[in-house]
Amino acid sequence: MNDIPQRVASCFSNVFPALRPEDISRASTASLASWDSVAHVTLLSSIAEEFGVELEMEDFDELVSYALIVDYLEQKQK
Amino acid sequence: MGKWSARKVFRPTVTLNQALTLTNSRKGQGPQKLHYLACGFQPLHLSTFLRAHLFELLPGDDVELLHGAYGDLRGNLELAAQSPAIAAAVVIEWGDLDPRLGLRASGGWSAAAKTDILGSLSSSMALLESALANLGVRMPVVVAGPSLPLPHIGNTIDAQGSVFELDLEQQLAGFLARLARLAGLRIARCTGTAIPAETRMDARMELMAGFPYKLPFASDLAQSLARVLWQAPPKKGLITDLDNTLWAGIVGEVGIDSVSWHQDSHTQIYGLYQQMLGHLASMGVLLGVSSKNEQSTAEAALGRQDLLLDAKSLYPAIANWGPKSASVAQILKTWNISADAVVFIDDSPMELEEVKQAFPEITCLLFNGKDPDKTLRLFAELRNHFGKPLVVEEDLLRQASIRASAEIREQGDNASSPEFLSTLAGTVTFDWRRNPGDGRALELINKTNQFNLNGKRISEGDWQRYVADENAVCAVISYQDKFGALGRVAVLLGTNEGGKLRISHWVMSCRAFSRKIEHHTLDALFLHLDTDRIEFDLLPTAKNQPLLESLSAIGLTGSPDSTHELSRTVFLSRCGPLPHRQLKVTE
Repeated sequence: MNDIPQRVASCFSNVFPALRPEDISRASTASLASWDSVAHVTLLSSIAEEFGVELEMEDFDELVSYALIVDYLEQKQK
Repeated sequence: MGKWSARKVFRPTVTLNQALTLTNSRKGQGPQKLHYLACGFQPLHLSTFLRAHLFELLPGDDVELLHGAYGDLRGNLELAAQSPAIAAAVVIEWGDLDPRLGLRASGGWSAAAKTDILGSLSSSMALLESALANLGVRMPVVVAGPSLPLPHIGNTIDAQGSVFELDLEQQLAGFLARLARLAGLRIARCTGTAIPAETRMDARMELMAGFPYKLPFASDLAQSLARVLWQAPPKKGLITDLDNTLWAGIVGEVGIDSVSWHQDSHTQIYGLYQQMLGHLASMGVLLGVSSKNEQSTAEAALGRQDLLLDAKSLYPAIANWGPKSASVAQILKTWNISADAVVFIDDSPMELEEVKQAFPEITCLLFNGKDPDKTLRLFAELRNHFGKPLVVEEDLLRQASIRASAEIREQGDNASSPEFLSTLAGTVTFDWRRNPGDGRALELINKTNQFNLNGKRISEGDWQRYVADENAVCAVISYQDKFGALGRVAVLLGTNEGGKLRISHWVMSCRAFSRKIEHHTLDALFLHLDTDRIEFDLLPTAKNQPLLESLSAIGLTGSPDSTHELSRTVFLSRCGPLPHRQLKVTE
């Protein structure tokens, strides 16, 4: 069972507690004002911890939306 | 130790996601406790972890953290001192002492650079020391020294210490020891971690985001900072068994000369336990004995000249064949402290169970003389039960004053008569100076239950702000008589605005009961502040019945419909003769 989207959403809720659950799947650095550099590092660290993955420096530049993060993790799982 | 350990268990680590969940769930609930996290790196996850650990230690409060700017630890310390925070956590890394010792500087690691680093370290430490001293007089501060490894710039293989690294570490140790002596400052030791220094650093995150720690280490560091800042009140007394605990063997069976505690009889661990108790006594911990023995046999064994602690520090030492809980009750009465402030140690699980059933609040610990490793863990546990940020003069007077109080109590009802009290040649000294660095006064306010006006506690930061108020009234009261000095036994805090005197805090150590010191205190208040009326923030609590009874006799009741005011006329009509000499100390 693919529970990646739910677990990523849980990380989003932790880092952006004001974000409504229905808005999480559309969240990106462009659409979410509170997704600043500090929140970005916190979010990706939260996801790295949750999934036990080590993110490279370039991942921090590329993983800028919920959809990209879910895609990235699903690719890693294959 | 298992079942017989009541020490608060700290989780080894909290994950980032757990910390985020916790802080989200507690945010905005309860009164806000503002803290400052001062560091030279990006606080990022350390801030999240610290907040989570503070939430755990401050149930019912909301915790917010303030931070300063990246790369300017000294500036952040100055900002912290000007902030409304009630406490501060300061984390120093090598890069704060000299940027060339961090990963984000390019100042060079040449021989000349290293010489310059060694030469300039003392001046950067002096600047930080000055800023920390300034911060420490404004709020309680926990300081963590560098926990990350130095860059690999020693000229030796890593298994060999280089002169450069050893010189740096020597300067650092001196710096931290100087800080530990400054008022308000406490040095954190990250004892909870099993994480080796080499794997604490997250070089990738440091270079990318300016945050230097791996998550598990950041969590452990935050936990240490929070624990040092918000320490539970230390226990006050320890009751120990004798046979197979203070010594090896059963003295009633093998005889006084055959119980042992020395290396040559392979019973050194018992000697170490005696030394540990001696160490605790030197910190002011009360020691008592509850043993199943003949009293005369126990006393004779405790009289052996080679005992490794002063037998006089074991008071009372009770030996009989009755239940140990009865002896414990007697000891608690002599000490006049509550069961939750006491640790009971015995080698018998059955005795521990019997005492625990009678006094569920007592911390019962098993002594296992056959397993030295377990005994050393017991010592570590005792350190955490009895450790305190500061040992003050009164801690060292406590044992003698307990004996003096017992002698006074032997007088029975006569002990509180004016005739008897006037024979004590007592002196009550009122220190009206406002001394924010006085740890004893704050300790009294925060640990006294029985003679406590309302049970309200205050933080170090609140205390410092309180006494800085120009309308504040503060008296620290000391007592001594022919039995010896009790030291500073009472504290009174209040405000005097427009001639209206209101007392918000009034506490007195139980060691000073029955000497009419409270009568002297009110008399001194009326005289010193030249007032005819005093208001009190009096509130009955679960434990302050002794205060209510005492003040009721003077004309002040704790009933909700009472105004909690005392006039000089009523006081003088009920006070009776004051038995002691009064002295006062002013600015």
